[in-house]
Amino acid sequence: MSTAPANRPRIPDTITDPASGRRISLLDWQAANRRASWVLAGFMVLLLAAIGYLLALALDPGAAWTFIVIAAVLAIGQSLAAYFLSDKLALAVSGARPATKDEHRYLVNVTEAVALGAGVPTPRLYVIDNPAPNAFATGRDPRHGAIAFTTGLIQLLDRQELEGVVAHEMAHVKNYDIRFASMLAATVGAIVLLRDVVLRGLGFGGRSRRTSGGGGRGQAIAMVLLIVVLILAPILATLLRLAVSRRREYLADATGAYITRNPEGLARALQKLRDYRGTPMRVSEGVQHMYFTNPVARLNAVSWLATHPPIDDRINRLRRM
Amino acid sequence: MTTIVVLVVLGALVLWGINVYNRIITLENRYQNAWSQIDVQLKRRTDLVPNLVETVKGYAAHEKEVFDNVGKARAAMTAAKSVDQSAEAANMMTAALGRLFAIAEAYPELKANQNFLMLQEELSGIENKIAYARQFYNDAVLQFNTVITTVPGNFFAGPMGKTKHVYLEVPEADKELPQVSFGAQA
Repeated sequence: MSTAPANRPRIPDTITDPASGRRISLLDWQAANRRASWVLAGFMVLLLAAIGYLLALALDPGAAWTFIVIAAVLAIGQSLAAYFLSDKLALAVSGARPATKDEHRYLVNVTEAVALGAGVPTPRLYVIDNPAPNAFATGRDPRHGAIAFTTGLIQLLDRQELEGVVAHEMAHVKNYDIRFASMLAATVGAIVLLRDVVLRGLGFGGRSRRTSGGGGRGQAIAMVLLIVVLILAPILATLLRLAVSRRREYLADATGAYITRNPEGLARALQKLRDYRGTPMRVSEGVQHMYFTNPVARLNAVSWLATHPPIDDRINRLRRM
Repeated sequence: MTTIVVLVVLGALVLWGINVYNRIITLENRYQNAWSQIDVQLKRRTDLVPNLVETVKGYAAHEKEVFDNVGKARAAMTAAKSVDQSAEAANMMTAALGRLFAIAEAYPELKANQNFLMLQEELSGIENKIAYARQFYNDAVLQFNTVITTVPGNFFAGPMGKTKHVYLEVPEADKELPQVSFGAQA
């Protein structure tokens, strides 16, 4: 017993914001990130309602509310599906099987320990039979958290490194990154669905309606606006989602280092993944962003299209903590 | 009019007071719960020890002093009543097990024993969990202490009978033991 916690080296609970370069507290950043998530999600729903409205103006101004309601229901339905099903889907798509204590005693022990340090329930554990080292987390909140590891990762990393990866993935669950990313992806999906329906429908309905003379200029302008929005919205939303994703990787690294009080373990794990030269993992595009590092090496980069920041940059940030 | 204003201000004050009060209680529960997490691991470790001792004795029966130390630590662990005593006994146990595993290095046959390997992984896993649970406990105590010593929590702490809580610390000697916590805190 003493008057100061001294059992582990102190890790600063502040981080350099990659956007502004200022140092801010980890908790403040988590809070800001969560707020930004909801603002963004609300914006997406409004956007979808606006698309519904434009659609109504272009086709049948009398039924504006019907269109708005249909668009909103579509968005909410997709979001609900993402909320409740994204974890099951992600695990099924990756071919993950539950890890048992008998087979993966070491992995289970490491995860239980890190969960104690993070103060969250132990997540469900899964294993993917693949030699390429990687991991991902899913689950809408810490109570429903799940982490999947490839067998390659378990073999490649030592205990400290594995702790780092576990803590990074746990941080994603703790920061509600997964809930946000899957709900946003669902809204983008809803917009894309609307776009495809409208663009396909244009060939027939749009033309015949205009020749019948009931339209006028307002309808034509609405139609042009609608097409522009429908084409631009998914692209912009995706770019936004990628920017958020890259930022959240830094945050998860910082949170992970804070949970383990050991940035070096996580840094070494990243180094090993960077230097891996075996067969890369084949992962469908929709779930690449979930992984610890993007299985496609060139998508860990300073780029608008990258899901993750460059691995070297992540390592340097950890080493400077 | 004045009555309404007074009532609203009073209502806001009461809500604010409830909020601060609940915050203090929540943080107190958090560190108490954090302690029970440590306690669970300590009990699990105490339960595994006889099994480990039996296994090691099969190969290194003459290392009497080591077994005695583990036995003493286990007795202290079982007898411990308060958090202080448990923490002290736990540190004793960590040191004793560390020595036992260090000795095991000299017995290749023991190191090849499946049961021993399983116990070694379980115990170093528990050691690691204790370290993490202790870290979370100290974080929770830090939060609690901060709230009850800063405005406005300090106005409430006195009447609520809350005082600063002490941190758990690992003795210096522990950190030097090479074998126990496999890479957990290097």
